[in-house]
Amino acid sequence: MGVSLFALAACGEPEVEAAIFENIQQCISNGDASPEQCEQNFREAKSQHAAVAPKYATASDCQADFGAGKCETAPYRSSTGGSIFMPLMAGYMMGSMLGGRRSMAPQPLYRSASSPGTFRTADNRSAGRSTGRTKVARSATSRPSVKTATRSRGGFGSSGRRFGSGAT
Amino acid sequence: MQRIPVSERSGLADAAQMHGFEFTAAGGVTGWDESAYYQFTMGQIQEDLAGPAEELEGLCFEMVERAVNDQAILERLGIAETFWDYLGESWRGGEKNLTGRMDLSYDGTGPAKLLEYNADTPTALYESAVFQWEWLEQAAEEGLIPENCDQFNDVHEAIVQSFAAMGIEGVTHFACNTDIEDDKGTLEYMQECAVEAGLETRLLAMADIGLDDWGKFTDTEEDVITTLVKLYPWEWIMDEEFGQKVPASRVRFIEPPWKAILSNKGMLALMWEMFEGHPNLLPAYFEGDPGADALAGTYVRKPLLSRQGANIQMYRDGALQLASEGPYGDGGQIVQGSAPLPEYGGKYPLLGLWLIASKAAGLCIRESRTLITGPDASVVPHVILE
Repeated sequence: MGVSLFALAACGEPEVEAAIFENIQQCISNGDASPEQCEQNFREAKSQHAAVAPKYATASDCQADFGAGKCETAPYRSSTGGSIFMPLMAGYMMGSMLGGRRSMAPQPLYRSASSPGTFRTADNRSAGRSTGRTKVARSATSRPSVKTATRSRGGFGSSGRRFGSGAT
Repeated sequence: MQRIPVSERSGLADAAQMHGFEFTAAGGVTGWDESAYYQFTMGQIQEDLAGPAEELEGLCFEMVERAVNDQAILERLGIAETFWDYLGESWRGGEKNLTGRMDLSYDGTGPAKLLEYNADTPTALYESAVFQWEWLEQAAEEGLIPENCDQFNDVHEAIVQSFAAMGIEGVTHFACNTDIEDDKGTLEYMQECAVEAGLETRLLAMADIGLDDWGKFTDTEEDVITTLVKLYPWEWIMDEEFGQKVPASRVRFIEPPWKAILSNKGMLALMWEMFEGHPNLLPAYFEGDPGADALAGTYVRKPLLSRQGANIQMYRDGALQLASEGPYGDGGQIVQGSAPLPEYGGKYPLLGLWLIASKAAGLCIRESRTLITGPDASVVPHVILE
């Protein structure tokens, strides 16, 4: 039997290799990656955090999902000038250097109040409970989407209503 | 170049239904006519049409290079000042283009003349790429046309390959005025091509696009739009309420913003100014330019921004010969020397040369009953035969 790229998780979704750490120090102590790799991956994950983390209009809504003291204000303002809240980053998944899918990018991880032992991606996919080298569902390695809150719609389309077809 | 009458395929009604075209017993397929086909030689296709189209594309790019560095030109084209930097950045940043259709007047001899360039929102794409190709295969099978006929038609493969080569990450969104069945059908076809290229896609109405607190455009599932394939003209986008938000949104548009220069009929005047005497160009001037006197009263007057043959006026010796109505009368106009379409028994074919990622990729012929090709034109298939 050869070595297969994917192992099957209990739920049937393919698993891929990944490496998860709570912080840079834990990554360095683990020793699988160089300190430079640990820092670089952390920086990349952290740089995405504000864009991809779930967003809330109030601190209490955020804490209801992530726990007391586990939220921070996002570096954004709502259209009315109010604060926006998001969970604190609880760890990060390394990119493809420690195995796993090709083109896998580092990303931030979170822990929810209801299941604080489990790492979750910004898209609320479980990344398991382990740190260090581990296996996670393939979907957990996808690039997380940018979280947003639409404030208005209908700012396009008026010319189409007036003229009809836009084709030439 | 010949127009050859031919029987319709026995399965035309079924084919129309399968491809979602409107079909009536009396009128056949709306927008399609296979009671005749046009026959070309390979030399006509390569030397008279495809070659010149690619050469013109190169000249168009020289013109765009000049336009984005000359505010007087952008102003002349009626492009709002707030978009000048945006257009320039999209050009200098090398944002890739995908589709365009050059409309040419050609009768089988002499240089084809560029009547206009549908560089931003070209249509008749599905008829050209899919329905026309299927006609060739089935008509040959049924013995309606010679067996060794070929067709200039790499449109489908070229679009798929180009999508794959664009380096798109994440979901690709597709948007148009979805109330117009034709536009939606064309866009859905482009979406199919993108899926075939391995992209993840989502289609929505332009009117359903949202704006978030951070100046990003959003879809109806609250996901941020990062790449948008639009069948919606740049001049509309720039003019609408959300238009001002476009530059900061960092959305990658296909077609890219700089195509707004080429889809504007002012480009015909600018091309003539830069490349006067080019065999595939007609003399053209912005209205009011004294140079237009050279046309000696015989010319075609077109709005800078119009579509599907609307608001066109044809003059001969100073007298109005033919005019089409439409909603695009406002704004600037150009006047262009006359190169009337050839006539084949009361039908006037306009040759649409497809450029996919700037490579000549196919031919689409639309026939009208007048010298002005309007929305009632029918696509007529073609073959190449030596």
